[in-house]
Amino acid sequence: MRMSIKLTTQAYCKMLLHAAKYPHCAVNGLLVAEKQKEKKKDSHSTPILCVDCIPLFHGTLALAPMLEVALTLIDTWCKENKYVIAGYYQANERTKDFRPNQVSEKVGARIAENFSEAAMIMVDSTRFTMGCYEPILAIYDHHENKWKCRDCNVDSFDDWCEAQKITSALLEGRSYESLIDFDNHLDDLRNDWTNPEINKSVLHLC
Amino acid sequence: MASVSEMYDVTWEEMRDKLRKWREDNHRNSEQIVDVGEELINEHASKLGDDIWIIYEQVMIAALDCSRDDLAWTCLQELKRQFPGSQRVKRLAGMRLEALEKYEDANKQYDSILQDDPTNTAARKRKISILKAQGKSAEAIRELNEYLEQFVGDQEAWHELSELYINEHDYGKAAFCLEELMMTNPHNHLYCEQYAEVKYTQGGLENLELSRKYFAQALKLNNRNMRALFGLYMSASHIAASPKVNATVKKANVKYATWATNQINRAYQLAGRGTKENKCSVKAVEEMLESITMS
Repeated sequence: MRMSIKLTTQAYCKMLLHAAKYPHCAVNGLLVAEKQKEKKKDSHSTPILCVDCIPLFHGTLALAPMLEVALTLIDTWCKENKYVIAGYYQANERTKDFRPNQVSEKVGARIAENFSEAAMIMVDSTRFTMGCYEPILAIYDHHENKWKCRDCNVDSFDDWCEAQKITSALLEGRSYESLIDFDNHLDDLRNDWTNPEINKSVLHLC
Repeated sequence: MASVSEMYDVTWEEMRDKLRKWREDNHRNSEQIVDVGEELINEHASKLGDDIWIIYEQVMIAALDCSRDDLAWTCLQELKRQFPGSQRVKRLAGMRLEALEKYEDANKQYDSILQDDPTNTAARKRKISILKAQGKSAEAIRELNEYLEQFVGDQEAWHELSELYINEHDYGKAAFCLEELMMTNPHNHLYCEQYAEVKYTQGGLENLELSRKYFAQALKLNNRNMRALFGLYMSASHIAASPKVNATVKKANVKYATWATNQINRAYQLAGRGTKENKCSVKAVEEMLESITMS
């Protein structure tokens, strides 16, 4: 029985804000979870909680060097904050295309090497609305070298009502204009990919 | 809902100048263009003089991006009235059909432009964009190649083709496109850097060495290009770590990687200026560089 994955409001919110900031581009990023202290015997009951999201790139996703830099840097940051990279998300360039592709499978597999329960998440832009009335993700698990889609519903969230309310509010308020991804950071190092201001807004609205 | 001029305390001249800047820089900040442009058109049309026509065009395209068909339609009507029979306006009408996903009608529109003027590059490129929007990448690539045989100097087209190839993971052909761009734009650090990224992604020792050279070249052209700096570091490190290189090559690449490390650290220190958030970044970069050099 695979461990279920849960997303916090902050993680879901930043994913959607990233996609909203670049509606005409493909976007991708990472999800991080808190590092578990030790593997409990009945660990199948505790779902993996993805507490945060690090937006990575927009536009051309299929090039290696900056992705390697980002993965290594964020891995180091994770170690300092007792996080682990637990997942990868991607929204494709074409709205109607929400299937995983070579990029998402490759990066997902790379993350799964270090974290066996890694999830690969595809964003379904056809259902993306300002009201955020339903979750718009498709979650994939790595099983025997294949990616299998699992059900994504309100149970995949720590608190769906909160996630819905806050994500919608931030979209209406155009918070995505100030969202920083790793590409923005490479353009200007002062841009902070941990997005502290948006994190504060999320907390403020909770 | 407060107006743009009220919210940001700007005059209509400043709004007009901002629109011009966004036009010149080819920014796709469509929501902002719609906000500023719509107000300018509604409140200050009489003051804009002949500028208004290019503003109508700019706002119309931005409106299509934001699904504001009402605004796009208004702009289009004004342009049709002022420039009846214009190919440029016909193309805009075609773009509106594209936005409404009426691809057949859009293609008809572009075909009619091309019948009157077979050299109309804008119409041909829109037809290729339709193929892209429909997910027909192979056809888009084929059409774009044909286009470039005729219009060999169209840099936007070469760049678009390189991106299409990258998305298909055909890095060799993407590199060829970027080589064309570098030849005609030897001082453009971005093309150099992108070429280096493609070579790096292709993999193999030879490509890694090429990528290192082009990351270095990009840095020479613009010493603030962080992607080039990181790329130089990554490629030199991988070459140094390769079992296929001799001791001299290894030593040289360790030297390049170390130089890059110091430059990266310096860049982060300069950016950080001691703020709490950036201290984390600086530390993370230091540890990352340490961890790779040790392997």
